[in-house]
Amino acid sequence: MSGQGESYGQSGREYENSGGGGGSGAVMHYMCGDCAVRVPLEKGAPIRCQKCGARVLYKERTKRMVQFEAR
Amino acid sequence: MVRERTKTTWDHSYNTLRREKLFRHPPTDQSAYPALQEAVNPHIEAFNALFRNDGKPSLLDHALAEIGTKTFLDGDERAAPTGKNKLTVRYKSVTLSKSQVPPSNKFAKRREIFPAECRERHVSYRGKLTAVLEYRINDGDAHEFVRELGQVPIMVKSNKCHLENNSPALLVERKEESEELGGYFIVNGIEKLIRLLLMNKRNFPLAITRPSFTNRGPTYTPHGIIVRSVRPDETSQTNVLHYLNDGNVTFRFSWRKNEYLIPVMMILKALVDTNDREIFERLVGPPKSKGVENTFLTDRVELLLRTYKAYSLYTKNQTRAYLGQKFRVVLGVPDTMSDYEVGTEFLRKVVLVHLGCNNVTEEQDMDKFTMLLFMCRKLYALVAGDCAVDNPDAVQNQEVLLGGFLYGQILKERLEDLLSTGLRAALRDYLRRNPTVSFTSPSFAKDFPIAIFRKTNENIGNALEYFLSTGNLQSPSGLDLQQISGFTVVAEKLNFLRFISHFRMVHRGSFFAQLKTTTVRKLLPESWGFLCPVHTPDGSPCGLLNHFAHKCKITTEAVDASAVPGVLAELGINSYSSADTNESVVVMLDGKVLGWCSPQNSKAIADTLRQLKVEGGHGVPLLLEIGYVPLSSGGSYPGIYMTSSTSRMVRPVKHLALGKEDYVGPYEQPYMSIAVVDHEVVPGDSTHVEFDPTNILSILANMTPFSDFNQSPRNMYQCQMGKQTMGTPGTAIRYRTDNKMYRIQTGQTPVVRAPLHNTYGFDNFPNGFNAVVAVISYTGYDMDDAMIINKSAHERGFGHGTIYKTKKISLKDDSRTRTTKTISKMFGFAPGTAIRASDREMLDEDGLPYVGRLVREGDILCAWHTVGSDYTGKLVNRDGVTHWERYKESEDAFIEEVRVIGSDTGNEPLQTLSIKLRVPRSPVIGDKFSSRHGQKGVCSQKWPAVDMPFSETGIQPDVIINPHAFPSRMTIGMFVESLAGKAGALHGLAQDSTPFKFSEDNMAADYFGHQLMKAGYNYHGNEPMYSGITGEEFMCDIYIGVVYYQRLRHMVNDKYQVRTTGPVVPTTGQPIKGRKKGGGIRVGEMERDALLAHGTAFLLQDRLLNCSDYSKSWICRDCGSFLAVQPTVSPFIGKRKQVGTVRCRNCAQRLDQMEDLDLMKLDGEIWEDGQGVQWMGGENTTMIVVPGALKYLDVELAAMGVKLKYKVDNNDHIRRSALRPTPPKLLPSVAVA
Repeated sequence: MSGQGESYGQSGREYENSGGGGGSGAVMHYMCGDCAVRVPLEKGAPIRCQKCGARVLYKERTKRMVQFEAR
Repeated sequence: MVRERTKTTWDHSYNTLRREKLFRHPPTDQSAYPALQEAVNPHIEAFNALFRNDGKPSLLDHALAEIGTKTFLDGDERAAPTGKNKLTVRYKSVTLSKSQVPPSNKFAKRREIFPAECRERHVSYRGKLTAVLEYRINDGDAHEFVRELGQVPIMVKSNKCHLENNSPALLVERKEESEELGGYFIVNGIEKLIRLLLMNKRNFPLAITRPSFTNRGPTYTPHGIIVRSVRPDETSQTNVLHYLNDGNVTFRFSWRKNEYLIPVMMILKALVDTNDREIFERLVGPPKSKGVENTFLTDRVELLLRTYKAYSLYTKNQTRAYLGQKFRVVLGVPDTMSDYEVGTEFLRKVVLVHLGCNNVTEEQDMDKFTMLLFMCRKLYALVAGDCAVDNPDAVQNQEVLLGGFLYGQILKERLEDLLSTGLRAALRDYLRRNPTVSFTSPSFAKDFPIAIFRKTNENIGNALEYFLSTGNLQSPSGLDLQQISGFTVVAEKLNFLRFISHFRMVHRGSFFAQLKTTTVRKLLPESWGFLCPVHTPDGSPCGLLNHFAHKCKITTEAVDASAVPGVLAELGINSYSSADTNESVVVMLDGKVLGWCSPQNSKAIADTLRQLKVEGGHGVPLLLEIGYVPLSSGGSYPGIYMTSSTSRMVRPVKHLALGKEDYVGPYEQPYMSIAVVDHEVVPGDSTHVEFDPTNILSILANMTPFSDFNQSPRNMYQCQMGKQTMGTPGTAIRYRTDNKMYRIQTGQTPVVRAPLHNTYGFDNFPNGFNAVVAVISYTGYDMDDAMIINKSAHERGFGHGTIYKTKKISLKDDSRTRTTKTISKMFGFAPGTAIRASDREMLDEDGLPYVGRLVREGDILCAWHTVGSDYTGKLVNRDGVTHWERYKESEDAFIEEVRVIGSDTGNEPLQTLSIKLRVPRSPVIGDKFSSRHGQKGVCSQKWPAVDMPFSETGIQPDVIINPHAFPSRMTIGMFVESLAGKAGALHGLAQDSTPFKFSEDNMAADYFGHQLMKAGYNYHGNEPMYSGITGEEFMCDIYIGVVYYQRLRHMVNDKYQVRTTGPVVPTTGQPIKGRKKGGGIRVGEMERDALLAHGTAFLLQDRLLNCSDYSKSWICRDCGSFLAVQPTVSPFIGKRKQVGTVRCRNCAQRLDQMEDLDLMKLDGEIWEDGQGVQWMGGENTTMIVVPGALKYLDVELAAMGVKLKYKVDNNDHIRRSALRPTPPKLLPSVAVA
């Protein structure tokens, strides 16, 4: 885990699709701070609630199991 | 049915249901805790006064009137003004709009921006400032135009805020606390407030003796009269009269940070058409009055009049023209004004501005004249010793500079600066570029409102934001203030007590902090009821940083005293006077002399006025301050000094005769007789009585239970510690993004509390927990203010807390350059690149952390990559490198919230991220706790419950403290609290702990003792207890009870510092300072002495050398120097680094400089240096260990031409003392036969 994580393979070059276009990532969902609506956002999309135009969105709590050592 | 209004009165009991109801259903009509809002209101009202919407002229309207019109001329600057075109510009109005989304944002459904959004987005809460200007050319038609002056920060809950007059329910809906107070600004997401400052009382001539006055020049004496004269727009101009040795008087003022001195006669003659006789008679008194007999005065006044003859200025016109000629450049007036007009302008702007500073009438000039004469008279009385010096450090002669007013002063100055400096420069520049254009040309009319104004620095909002975020004042005039920085503080929401204290805090000014004398810090009796005697920090700001008593109010609006002169005329005042105070004393209202009366009459007048004032309905307002100063020999200058202005401290007391509420101010209070409690009333003397003796205490000091039982410094400590407690900052924690926020999980309401606890709604913000405390010396782990915590109590959540830290990650470079439209970085993994699985695991698909995840040191918080736009304008990543932001702290934390923040235009992709981390902090050994009596302690052990002592009822203490904490500290209040808490817990009662309720006849111990007895407990609070280890009963009974404990924010986890090796300072090689950087703690001289005294030489060497700047170094034994040694270089080995032999260059001989060199005869090794020069000798080198700092010192000294020589060998040692005779050889022992 040391360094800056530069262990990328050079083979990824041909793979490159436009970073702003949002081809690669799936659509992520965020919570709107104002109207509590689930806002789907593509990668690189402007940050705003599609319903009310709110400018603060919250990341949803992870659905993955979160397990901690309880001591 | 009309719903009942929310009740606002509270007693000391728990009110559990009522509180629960308020919490579940925030009221829609009004807050249940109006006292809380009242405490903050001075801040809000002062801001509201800037931009009013109730029809009355606002401060800004006054300011714009005072700024007036600015005149500019075209053509050649050096030419005479004749024939040039004239341009006059003035502000018609300046308005501030509420905070709104910019029009370019087409997406927002709701246009308002609420404060909560600004906190969450780490931006400023501000609104657009718009000015309507008007210009005329050659006094022709007026043309109006509008300019936008940038975004100005808005005070929360002010009349420019969306939260004004919001009900608690609405506030909750808008993501605020139900009891949001406002009074602060939000700058870059941080809550900032402008500190209150104590200033000299306005419009009042203060008699001052200050040795530094003699520095003004020869013949100057320490005596002077200072008037801080305040204009209607709350800007001030200080005028000073100096007394000179020969009896003359000089008028001093400062203008744009420069000081000017003028003979007072010149001002007097310039103000009105007068003559020497009039001045003499108005100073001394009419003929045959007693004032004429005062030869001290007559001599000096005669001299004053005679010396002025040297100027040969006789009429008002002459004098004004003379003044105008002298001050034309200083005032920066246009060339079109005549000298006489400039003189008039000077008098308007500088002399006693409170009596008229805009369109000054002749009447107002007469007022100024009268006032100036009164000041001269007081000055002569001061010099003669008839009048005492006024103490500028006493609250009596002080008032408060409110943040809103200061804000307005800055705004005014910026507005004026924009017209006078900014526009002048822009016009000059424009005329130079376009020499053919004059003001009358059509192209000018087109360019002026837009092109020329754009050249000026018209972003006033930026300047105000800078002021708020740094607290620095950038002002050409200095605003008549004594400091230029430290005006703002962060309103930290560490806990609610700290937060509320910020708004009640008043500072004397940072100028006084550097003063060596302690006089300014003294607690004076004048402060009674205005400043809290308990609530001031100890240490450097002690006595300078005070807090208002909780009932003290600050007037933010001048009361209407227009009827007072009429009332006074009816009561009988004269227009003539004598210098003898036995004959006549002054009657003054807001620094304007209304008239004179006899001292006997003045008492009657003052009494009648007070009667009318308290009764009400006579045109004498309740908030008028009637400072009646009685006649005395050598005391304060007698008279009636009335004040109706703003910024005064006032407090309610009960008027005895009428039984009504009266407000008294600090100026009048010393001359009044106010009883503290009813039985102290002296018939015939006392006129007032306090409503409650606790009115003198601040909000915080009132929260200390039974504080009258404690030694006073302990109450001061509690006021400190109450503010450092890990408490509950609020209920809207979800919508806050403070850098660091503390919170306790198991907050409780105290069993023992004053009714004010409920009045101020502190149950909404619990600050501690009730703990069963035994005072016993047990196990030894409670020594020296340590405390033992019951381990089971700890496991049940005793004192459990959390820290929230917010980390803002922005991909934009510094926000100062606001025009960076281009996006160069994006959050997320660089597309198409392979990411190590362990790194990928830590983040979600969007490159942001999973909410709820545990992060350890070195874990990744988010990923980003660089982007650039391709030919279609799309943003693409080119380098395929993913960068990481890492969690750097050593403590484990959880991702609590991740905020994805958009721009206010709503069209930018993700550039700013705000991650809130939660750090759990259960109490550990070394964490700090305290009771509410200044009894702080550190947790020393979590003792297993089975081994804790227990009482006969089976109760174990949560906390054990040592009895030695009490005898020297004398915090009896803690004993009483323990007793009361125990009784309250047993009976299920909340106990009233208001101080001053008990007495010798009605003792607290007796009252609570009986309650304990009723519950079947010992009257004294002692109980037999059993050792948890042996099970045996203790020899004596143990004092055990319930005390409210606070957990303080100082925790070992933030403080521990360990180091063996680590980063060092490059020059010396010693460890660096600072916990964050892994530095060390200095072993200073005293620590060194202690180690020496213990004879621990090895430890000392370890600390001072081995763990510090231990360094091995080569030295030449012959010349004893570090500096001349160098490694030899072998020409054959090449680059391979190798510690070869080290030789001294100084002791060696250079072969090529040797005369008659004969290689055959040389004896010894030849070596080479780096340049290939061959040397011989210098072989006597050795390696020694020295401190790195020593070598550094050697180098530094060498730079100054000082050589150090080290004696490495004992044989080299020079003997300093005389050779001691060797002891005689032992005699050969005689064998005993």
